[in-house]
Amino acid sequence: MKTTGLEIRKRIATLFFIFVVVICLLAGRFFWLQVVRGDELAERALDNRMRDITLKAKRGTIYDRNGRELAISVSTDSVYAVPAQIRKAKKEREVAQKLAEVLQMDEKEIYDRITRQVSFVWIKRQVDLETSRKLRELDLEGIGLLEESRRFYPKGTLASHVLGISGIDNTGLDGVDLYYDQLIGGTDGKIVIEHDAFGREIPEATHRYIPPIDGSSVVLTIDETIQYILERELDKVMEQRQPKAACGIVMDPKTGEILALASRPNFDPNRYNDYPADNRRNFAVHNAYEPGSTMKIVTAAAAMEEDTVKVSDRFHCPGSIKVSNRSISCAGGTSHGSMDFAGVVENSCNVGFINIGLKLGLEKYYRYLNAFGFGQKTGIDLPGEAKGIIVPQSRATQIDLATMSFGQANAVTPIQLIAAASTIANGGTYMKPHLLKQVIAPDGKIKETITPTKVRQVLSKETAKELCLILEGVVKNGSGRNAQIEGYRVAGKTGTAQKIAPGGGYMANEYVASFLGFAPADDPRLVCLIVIDAPKGYPYYGGWVAAPVFREVMADSLRYLGVPRTEISKEESNQKKTVAVPDVINLPLDEAVQTLRKVGLKVEVQGDGNLVWGQVPKANTRVEQNSRVIVYLSPVEEQQGSGQVTLPDLEGKSMKEVARILSQLGLHLSPDGHGLAYKQSPAAGTRVPVGSTIKVSFQPLE
Amino acid sequence: MRLKQGPPDLMLFLVVVLLVCIGLIMIFSASAVTSDVKYQDAFFFVKRQLIWAVFGLTAMLVLMKMNYQKLRELGVAGLILALICLVAVLLPGIGMDVKGAVRQIDLGFTSFTPSELTKLCLVFFFASSLSLNYGKIKSFVQGLLPYLVLIGVVCGLIMLQPDLGTALIIAVTAYLMLVMAGARISHMLILALLGVGLVCLAIYLEPYRMVRFIAFLDPWKYASDEGFQTIQSLYAIGSGGLFGMGLGQSRQKFFYLPEQHTDFIFAILGEELGYLGVFVVLTLLFIFAWRGFQIALKAPDIFGSLLAAGITTMITAQASINLGVVSGSLPVTGIPLPFISYGGSSLMFTMAGVGLLLSVSRYTHDR
Repeated sequence: MKTTGLEIRKRIATLFFIFVVVICLLAGRFFWLQVVRGDELAERALDNRMRDITLKAKRGTIYDRNGRELAISVSTDSVYAVPAQIRKAKKEREVAQKLAEVLQMDEKEIYDRITRQVSFVWIKRQVDLETSRKLRELDLEGIGLLEESRRFYPKGTLASHVLGISGIDNTGLDGVDLYYDQLIGGTDGKIVIEHDAFGREIPEATHRYIPPIDGSSVVLTIDETIQYILERELDKVMEQRQPKAACGIVMDPKTGEILALASRPNFDPNRYNDYPADNRRNFAVHNAYEPGSTMKIVTAAAAMEEDTVKVSDRFHCPGSIKVSNRSISCAGGTSHGSMDFAGVVENSCNVGFINIGLKLGLEKYYRYLNAFGFGQKTGIDLPGEAKGIIVPQSRATQIDLATMSFGQANAVTPIQLIAAASTIANGGTYMKPHLLKQVIAPDGKIKETITPTKVRQVLSKETAKELCLILEGVVKNGSGRNAQIEGYRVAGKTGTAQKIAPGGGYMANEYVASFLGFAPADDPRLVCLIVIDAPKGYPYYGGWVAAPVFREVMADSLRYLGVPRTEISKEESNQKKTVAVPDVINLPLDEAVQTLRKVGLKVEVQGDGNLVWGQVPKANTRVEQNSRVIVYLSPVEEQQGSGQVTLPDLEGKSMKEVARILSQLGLHLSPDGHGLAYKQSPAAGTRVPVGSTIKVSFQPLE
Repeated sequence: MRLKQGPPDLMLFLVVVLLVCIGLIMIFSASAVTSDVKYQDAFFFVKRQLIWAVFGLTAMLVLMKMNYQKLRELGVAGLILALICLVAVLLPGIGMDVKGAVRQIDLGFTSFTPSELTKLCLVFFFASSLSLNYGKIKSFVQGLLPYLVLIGVVCGLIMLQPDLGTALIIAVTAYLMLVMAGARISHMLILALLGVGLVCLAIYLEPYRMVRFIAFLDPWKYASDEGFQTIQSLYAIGSGGLFGMGLGQSRQKFFYLPEQHTDFIFAILGEELGYLGVFVVLTLLFIFAWRGFQIALKAPDIFGSLLAAGITTMITAQASINLGVVSGSLPVTGIPLPFISYGGSSLMFTMAGVGLLLSVSRYTHDR
């Protein structure tokens, strides 16, 4: 037997020291993990084991300006149990029995649930009010109620485009509910419970309760009554004229507050999935369209402010004008004759506006376009506002300037247009249009009150005042007569714009009819814009389709607001001895002469025959009394001699009238549909043999 | 020459008994939840471990009472038996397939792990053989090579199971015994380089080892798959802090940490008993190493020295590697913590080893 030598003993000792070092390193490593990084790792480990039960915050209420509820959150209670609490109180049997009675559930099932080894268990979700009241009274040990809420719009479709929608998870998805989601939505709370790796609760698990913070309520500038009036009138016109879309806005020009805003087609936010998604498109802020003549207020305002025109300036309209080798004509191609600046506006004379625009020049015109807020968002508190499309100034030609001057070439949104009109109604100060009036904290305290924002002074007070009077004339004497309201001075402007075809150019038979106006003209309280996209039937003019809607909305709203009536003095009304030229086309000569004389106009007959074929100035033009109207007759002899007649234009006539005219010409009528004529075959001006049958299509107007 | 018998090393004995007790408590705490779910018996594992601990204690006491020198002849027989078992376990119908590895032989009432027997027998055989060949070991071909071939055969058989962890422990222990037995340092350095190369090759050849190794380098990046075990282990250890969450209060044992009562039991210990508990176990481990090597240094002959040093090395190295894995300092290899991890064969043969160590301690003398 050998004793262990020094070499082996040395090596054994060395190995021992190596192990000591290793053990020391391990001690250091564990110290680092547990003491230095312990808290951090523990936190991460806990996160890793936690599962949440989200507690939804209650959304704030949306009120109209008078405190009427437009959107509310309906709470439903859900019943839950904390088994540990029941166990502690040793009341499992009693609790199960009482719960079964109230909830009408199987007692054994409830007993099973409340004795489960979990820290939280739902007994029944979303119980009715009566049940939750009973449970509150019973106040059972370890049984609680959690409020779960759902958005409800009590007024249904009313103001749908303003209010928007909320999804199933109670978050805003559109409209004010989306725009102010942060404010209205509040902050969700949660119960956090520790779980094992398979998602089961750990006994005596860590609990955290983070209560939800309810959302704030908002008061809108919307007035439910005016909103209702506007929507009622829009629905009426939708039914009568079946347009593709429509919208209306009512605004307080002094503050920029939107009192009513509606778009069509409509939807019910409570059941938004039952409607096509397109119905949620808010025409008033999402759509840019060529406004047509309503845009002339901008040209007029700019020209007046820049002294490019004086009110006394005379204008002559030959019916068309050549700009850079392109001929642009007035509506219908008829001459408006000679008139002053007010006449240009009243007759909505394209030629007159082109002249004014060209005189103003590109630079100044664009300055006013920008000042009136076109091509920019108004900042209205609704999601997805469009900017509109303005021809870039750097690329604009004289033709562009000419067409812009009477409302073509640029696309604007209804909200931009009404904000611009409000500027004129508000003495030249542009106010930011807005919907939010007040924010109310969940505890009922007022958190914030929105003050009107003056954006800029666009026009001088004097220019604005003068323009208001001219626009009053449009309603009093011009194309906007259908907007007259008895007892109120109304100012406004009509618009009838051809729609741009998808491939460029204009569509032949689709128009956007609009009316933009305010009242009372001397101290405007309300500005209102009505836009009707592609109304069916004839006439499609803004003055005929949109102005009556405007009139009804404004008349009821002014009365509702108690705006005092103005007595228009006799003197003033007699001062202007202008009359509207009646439509005498297709009338027999003696009848035509009689009609014209009745309103105090002279008649000049050209041609021979017994039927009026054309007239100058055209119908509805305002002319001074005792002016001369030229009527053109069809040559009767020729018709009789050759046995042929020239077909008159029958569009817009009732079936009775059409039948009378055709029978006088010795033609037969083959009618299709009912209402007013809108299509005829052969076309007007065609010569047809006496005894021919003319096909005429009718469609209802009202 | 008859040696005078003295008392066994009491401190070593107490340290081992203490470690086994800590192990039993921790196995119960760590496995209660999972075994309750799996076997409807929270005591499933601890009951089994307790039986093995009784066997282990018996083996330890019997071997302690025996004169280790008289067991020399048993060394060769034991090694041959172990090799037969290692081959047998690979045969179909004998080995038990657990999670894709065949490491155990089913004995009906329980199972038996041949590699654990092999570990002890190889240490015993090396101590015996090397003490006889002292001096010859300096020659590479005549001294070292036969031992290397033996290591290669044993490790190769174990790798076939496959069980890289145990093979690694055997290789490391045998290597260190060769060093202690007086092999040339130059030879051993070259072998060490070769060994590292082999380990790299083993990692490279087996995709799951490669992935484990990469995950070890940045476990947070692979937190949901390959790094999962390491991350959950770090979560457990970190959650313990200085004083721990209290015995039985582990959260990570709720199915988060895999192998929570076997290879990763020390993470649960760290979570429940905190750094304080970790420090106590490390101190016990230090005392074990200190007493073990002390016995080796004071042994009356080379055989006793090498036997004591070999057994101490085997247990200390295995513990160090296990703690390195649990603390995320080493790649996951899958070896249990001696005395503490659940595993019957491992506990019994480790305790038997300690019995031999205690036997040597009875013949020590101060120089």
